[in-house]
Amino acid sequence: MKEEDRDLTQPDEQAPALSRRRLITYLLGFSVVTTLAGVLTPIIGYLLPSGQASAGTGEPVKVGATADFPVGRGKVVSVQDKPVVVANTAEGGLKAFSAICTHLGCIVEWDANRRIIACPCHDAHFNPVNGAVISGPAPSPLPEFQLTVQGDALYVTPS
Amino acid sequence: MECTMVTRKSILWRTWGWLDDRYQLTSLLGALLHVEIPRTARTYYLGGITLFFFVVQATTGILLSLYYQPTPDAAPGSILFIMNQVNFGWLIRSIHSWSATCMVLFCILHLLRVFIQGAYKPPHQMTWVMGTLLLMLTLAFGFTGYLLPWDQRAFWATTVGTEIAGAVPFIGEWLLAFLRGGADVTAHTLTRFYGTHMLVLPASLGAALVIHLVFVHQQGLADPARPTGGRGEAPVGAAASQPKRRLLPFFPNYMLDEFIAWYLMLAALIVLASIYPAGLEAPADPLHTPEHIKPEWYFLFLYQGLKLVPRTVGVLAPFVGGLILLVFPFFDRNPHAFPRRRPIAMLVAALILIAVVGLSVWGSSS
Repeated sequence: MKEEDRDLTQPDEQAPALSRRRLITYLLGFSVVTTLAGVLTPIIGYLLPSGQASAGTGEPVKVGATADFPVGRGKVVSVQDKPVVVANTAEGGLKAFSAICTHLGCIVEWDANRRIIACPCHDAHFNPVNGAVISGPAPSPLPEFQLTVQGDALYVTPS
Repeated sequence: MECTMVTRKSILWRTWGWLDDRYQLTSLLGALLHVEIPRTARTYYLGGITLFFFVVQATTGILLSLYYQPTPDAAPGSILFIMNQVNFGWLIRSIHSWSATCMVLFCILHLLRVFIQGAYKPPHQMTWVMGTLLLMLTLAFGFTGYLLPWDQRAFWATTVGTEIAGAVPFIGEWLLAFLRGGADVTAHTLTRFYGTHMLVLPASLGAALVIHLVFVHQQGLADPARPTGGRGEAPVGAAASQPKRRLLPFFPNYMLDEFIAWYLMLAALIVLASIYPAGLEAPADPLHTPEHIKPEWYFLFLYQGLKLVPRTVGVLAPFVGGLILLVFPFFDRNPHAFPRRRPIAMLVAALILIAVVGLSVWGSSS
């Protein structure tokens, strides 16, 4: 109907009233949905790991003596239950990297013959100077940890 | 809009039709749901509420098992981890603890209701037997679950509880070793109780529950308004002129009432868990027994009774009592269901109830 044809002396047609049955149905549906949300929210939250347990304290952890890591030597140590590979190279000196291979999570090793960090699972090779991927299927470099020398002791700070 | 709504409805109906063609779901559901409940069934919700608490226990128990570690070294720490580190862990564990109490309570109330209304009388004797077994399995759940936190209370309550089994004549020593997995309460006891709590008891209770519900479904519920509990028995005396019992459809009428009751119980659980969360005492120390170690409230009457009677009597009494509870419907010759027509049964039940409650209260305060 065109606006100019409307009889403005008559009230507009009222929308149909909400029936009692419909109201009760809506209220029931709302209650059911709210209850389900109220029950499922804690269950889903419970199932998701909180992430607090895996956080490190940030304090430096002693991993050995400088004498344990002459040039050309490396080994995997534990820093707050996390594996860390410490290596000493002529090019880069003492460095510490996460020992968890970025490919599928295996623990890497120090390859003394080739003087690189290598993963025994799928033969990923990492540069002991900067953790970069040399070859193999690893998609990203090994994260580096801060390593400090205090006297003749080596300390690694977990992130 | 109209076209979309027709399409939505038809997809649902077509899916239902696809399943129904293969599995005859409509007739199956019809047989399950279109039964009739006596309209006077005001107290029938207690069994369904017990079932609700069992479902809550199964759900929260599975969730807890995802973080719980069943070794003496790790168990208390894993409980602390659940309570403090896991999102809503305190809520899940507290609900599990409160729901255990409520399940035992409502199972007992359900048993009392059935007894008072004479609903165990022929032809419902086997339903009573399965129900009694369900109560015993529920108590076993409570007993085995109590040890799992491996704190001082859990350890010493289990030591005392299993020691009682060792006092059974002739087979006591063997029974003790069987329960504990050795002479003392150790890591072997913990793993044995954990396996029983998580695998053996749920399977057993599930099977007993299915049988219990099949019996109830097949026979229908005893009508408390009838003078005799059974359906096939001829009415006695004035009852012969009773009008035909009024019936209520199970679906949706009775189911709606059940869901409302379950909803209220869920709300109660959440309130209780929030205001009174589950606690944890110091880790178990086998070399130091704390003072005033007591079992859970549903074993308090046994604990107090053992202080008053000789050990053998105190140990055998619950076994004998359980056996009598199991089989007495087969020896009850009184055909009446109304409490007023069963004065001896009511008197004996009242005396036993007073004794159990009295001993429990006494035990909690001693």
